[in-house]
Amino acid sequence: MILIRDSRGDILGEEDSDEMVGYRQQPGKLPFSKPGSGGKSRFSEPRDESMIPESQGGEKSQPWGDHRHDEVVSGRVIGKPTALVDSRWKVTGQAQYGDDIRLPGEIIGRIVRSPHHYARVLSIDASKALELPGVLAVATGQDATRAFGVLPVTKDEHAMAQDKVRHVGDLVACVAAVDEASAREACRLIEVEYEVLDSIHDMRDGLEDSELPIHDRGKYHIGESNIQKRVFQEFGDVEGMKGSAASHSSDWLFAGANHGFTEPHATVAHWDPSGRLTVYTPQQVPHYLHRALADVLEIPMHQINVFRTFVGGGFGGKSDPFPHEMCAAILARKTGRPVRINFDREEVFWVNRGRHPSRIGMSIHSDNEGRISGIETDALIDGGAFASFGHVTTYYNGVLHTAPYEIGGFHYTGARVWTNKPASGAMRGHGAVNSRCAVEVGLDDICEQLNVDPIDFRLANLLPPHSSTITGFRVTSIGMRECLERVREASGWDEKFRNMPLGRGIGVGCGFFISGSGLPIHWDPNKFPHATVHLKIDMDGGVTVHTGAADIGQGSDTVVAQSVAEVLGLPLDMIRVRSRETDTSPVDLGSYSSRVTFMNANAAISAAMEIRGDLIKATSEITGSPEEKLVIGDRRIFRKDDPGVGVSYLEALHKSQEDRGALVSSGSYRTPPMGRAHKGAAAGLAPAYSFSAYVAEVEVDVETGQTRVLKVWAAHDCGKALNPLSVKGQIIGSCHMGMGQVLSEEMRYGRTGHLLNPDFLDYKIPTVHEMPDVYPIIVESNDPEGPFGAKEAGEGPLLPILPAVVNAVYDATGVRVSELPISPDRLHKEIERKCKNAGVSDPLEMEPPRIEHSELQEVLLERGRQHSERDVMRRSVGEPAPYHNGALFGLDPEIPGDEQDSRWTAVVIPPESYLENPGLAGSAWKHVERRKRGVSE
Amino acid sequence: MVQYRLPMLPLSEEVDWAATVNGNGVSTRMESNAILLDVLRDSLGILGTKRGCDMGTCGCCSILVDGSPRLSCLMLAQEANGCEITTVEGLSEGHHLHPIQQTFAECGGSQCGFCTPGFLVVISALLDENPKPSDIEIKTAIEGNLCRCTGYQQIVDSVREASSILCDGSGVGDSTDPKSDPHPGFAG
Repeated sequence: MILIRDSRGDILGEEDSDEMVGYRQQPGKLPFSKPGSGGKSRFSEPRDESMIPESQGGEKSQPWGDHRHDEVVSGRVIGKPTALVDSRWKVTGQAQYGDDIRLPGEIIGRIVRSPHHYARVLSIDASKALELPGVLAVATGQDATRAFGVLPVTKDEHAMAQDKVRHVGDLVACVAAVDEASAREACRLIEVEYEVLDSIHDMRDGLEDSELPIHDRGKYHIGESNIQKRVFQEFGDVEGMKGSAASHSSDWLFAGANHGFTEPHATVAHWDPSGRLTVYTPQQVPHYLHRALADVLEIPMHQINVFRTFVGGGFGGKSDPFPHEMCAAILARKTGRPVRINFDREEVFWVNRGRHPSRIGMSIHSDNEGRISGIETDALIDGGAFASFGHVTTYYNGVLHTAPYEIGGFHYTGARVWTNKPASGAMRGHGAVNSRCAVEVGLDDICEQLNVDPIDFRLANLLPPHSSTITGFRVTSIGMRECLERVREASGWDEKFRNMPLGRGIGVGCGFFISGSGLPIHWDPNKFPHATVHLKIDMDGGVTVHTGAADIGQGSDTVVAQSVAEVLGLPLDMIRVRSRETDTSPVDLGSYSSRVTFMNANAAISAAMEIRGDLIKATSEITGSPEEKLVIGDRRIFRKDDPGVGVSYLEALHKSQEDRGALVSSGSYRTPPMGRAHKGAAAGLAPAYSFSAYVAEVEVDVETGQTRVLKVWAAHDCGKALNPLSVKGQIIGSCHMGMGQVLSEEMRYGRTGHLLNPDFLDYKIPTVHEMPDVYPIIVESNDPEGPFGAKEAGEGPLLPILPAVVNAVYDATGVRVSELPISPDRLHKEIERKCKNAGVSDPLEMEPPRIEHSELQEVLLERGRQHSERDVMRRSVGEPAPYHNGALFGLDPEIPGDEQDSRWTAVVIPPESYLENPGLAGSAWKHVERRKRGVSE
Repeated sequence: MVQYRLPMLPLSEEVDWAATVNGNGVSTRMESNAILLDVLRDSLGILGTKRGCDMGTCGCCSILVDGSPRLSCLMLAQEANGCEITTVEGLSEGHHLHPIQQTFAECGGSQCGFCTPGFLVVISALLDENPKPSDIEIKTAIEGNLCRCTGYQQIVDSVREASSILCDGSGVGDSTDPKSDPHPGFAG
């Protein structure tokens, strides 16, 4: 028994003698902390064997095999539902978002916006505004002439209009005044003379030559058109796909959707007395803003500190560097005072960057063995006035549906055009959502034609684990099969499908999404890592984590804290994450493309492993035990074979701090080399992919066309749920957002091209009453590259909800829609048409679709069974043989199809023959780039 | 203060205003046409109440006026003259959180957290009136609040949990107490 005394020598209490076994008293260290301590609880908890993987002698079963991080699992926090580490700030109202940053002496900035769709700015007269009392500065495009944009290849934005405005709401000038009323009045007093130009609003017009294209890309300009980006890809047996047993073809029209985050953009810029600029802003991607600010303001990057405030929802909508952030900095520079700009909700819609309005032509073919012999996609997407992430979106609309199915051929033509609308950009499920919906609905139709069950059809056509897609993506873990099987069982699919009364229906949809992009946006020859994490531990034992990963509410701070806590065997409250400022945070590429958990947690684990090594080494020195025998538990490092022998975390820490002070370490993550070499091969390439399958049950009022989603069974393969509470939250939240897009959300443009609904009254986000019961099902496929096996869970879960609902509406009514959202008026029109064709006068007399399985069903079931065995075998052996898409069609799985069969192609430039009869987006290739026409500029 | 003709607002005069905000008496001079949300945020510096849309569509600015939920962006400050106003900052007592604050954190009711203050005050009013609400009563109470992250399901879960805390009277601890766990995670 040991008596605990305070500094005066009074006895405070007794230590439980059991806890002291093996602890070697180090005189002089006790005042820091008691043995076994280091957190708020005095005593360590015993190691929880149910959280330790089998491979380490624990009791946690590993049906998908071992993982390289198994040995650093201490059974503390990973895999437990964990409250977000910043949730206390949020629930007490102390979290500071963009508009909550109030600096002494702040003034208010407002932006003068264009009332015209497309116009030349002839003159700006700010004299009256400047005479107004309280107005301190006015800035125009002359104050910042350098272009910027999130992608280095398409820098086409400016802080304010240089010569032209390109959409209603485009920035013309900005003012700074002592209060908001004066700033608004000053905006009204600024006189701008415009020469109105002919604007275009229909994305199809963007494909035509124009007298004055919205942007001029110099010698790279495509024809004289408004085509910003075009893609052509042909892989596999494209000729062979045509003569098929079943073919589906449809022309889709998807309305644009807005992120609808609740926090309007807001930013504060401040030049401090030493001449450095700090920009406080709710940014998903502080690093790109950092670069853009340096470029536009023409100051070195080290002179700028980007401070990420709490972000009130991002979903891709706060990931571009924005002109208003430049404006705030310019006004602050002019006035010498902190400038705050906060947006009205209407301005949020003008900045937009939401989901592209799209016209997608989708053809899917199946052969008589029920294999998907080909997918042909033609996607024309409406980019609005700026490029934003559009270069990537154009690729994603095609390449992200080359999995999870093994396909015989893939033909994709995509084009993105500029129109005079607010710019489209990246939004949750970037580029994959609309075309995925078209694919999954097409497969439902194929199954209808073949009279087979759509789940069994999918199960018989999946790529196996550790395989390569038709375009050469390296797919590692795949939990697709389990997702499908589990939603089938949970939803009672076999009893319900094609078996419910008119007006009730059930439908299935799948999803596939990247978990981090293989190449960073700022592709660099220096081989910088994608994510870096620094750790610092001083004698108090608390761990400071420095990371640049932007927590936008998805819980990235929590995941990084959990990862560090797990590796070091510490309670979560001993980890403090500092992720706000570019001054103190190592560069992280930001919260986009579902990369943060995957890359940042990987970096955090490697940083923590370095310190873990130090602690184990110190313990070995103290106890004399060999390092390989030592494990970490709850704030204790001890012998695995004799847990009594060990030291407390603090003791090991202080030992290893001898002669060097605080322990610091740095860990980073960079994607492995992957993929093929064709042009565009990097788009869609990711170190891992997530998979999901949803079943939705709907109720349709066939007399009014009103659709209600009742239940959604949502299975998502996230590799390993590091924080199941957040993963479920992401799945349910994705259902909410996807359900909005499929049923009610639409950016509506009137006949004159004006946005009719830039507010939450008319832009219809589902309320609590529209939400179905969502049953989230987590599938853990244990990705070999992911941190503790994890993959993304933020964007992929959105994809399947759209097609699941569309397919369920078909099951309920027999109407297959191809225009989203399925608003009551649209569905009513379709039901009317169907009644007319069927010759029934009352929609209540319509026949809902029924199914009688064909002989092919048995073939598919048998193949599904064989594939299931194949998949289990492939995931359990360490290094399975290569498997390239095409083996299902009789090719050698070890060699890419186009290298072994002359009918299989890999083409990224359209042949002359294609241009004779191109698809809508494919017609973009009729134009010739200026440089190839000999026009220099 | 300079006045300009702002759309929809008549010209104003300066008036006295007094109210009890989160238990503290406040009195100030202000324009008679001042919006309550602006007064709370910009004059009184109570930044927990959020501005989401300025037109009563999102519910982020919800507050309690004499105990009933109101949208502060649609209220003239004058309407609340002499009233008792509660914002999210007034829900906890020191470091003792209101049960709904605690369960929001634990059950995932809050992701980005921007809509959270609005939800919390509306739900606290519901629980004051009806400590054991049914699911449909919960949904009806929060129908005017938009959340873009959670899909509401974990918010409804949080309300159920808070209700059971209130009903069994267990209350919520103080996070600054050295014996309490400051991260009330591990809900499962």
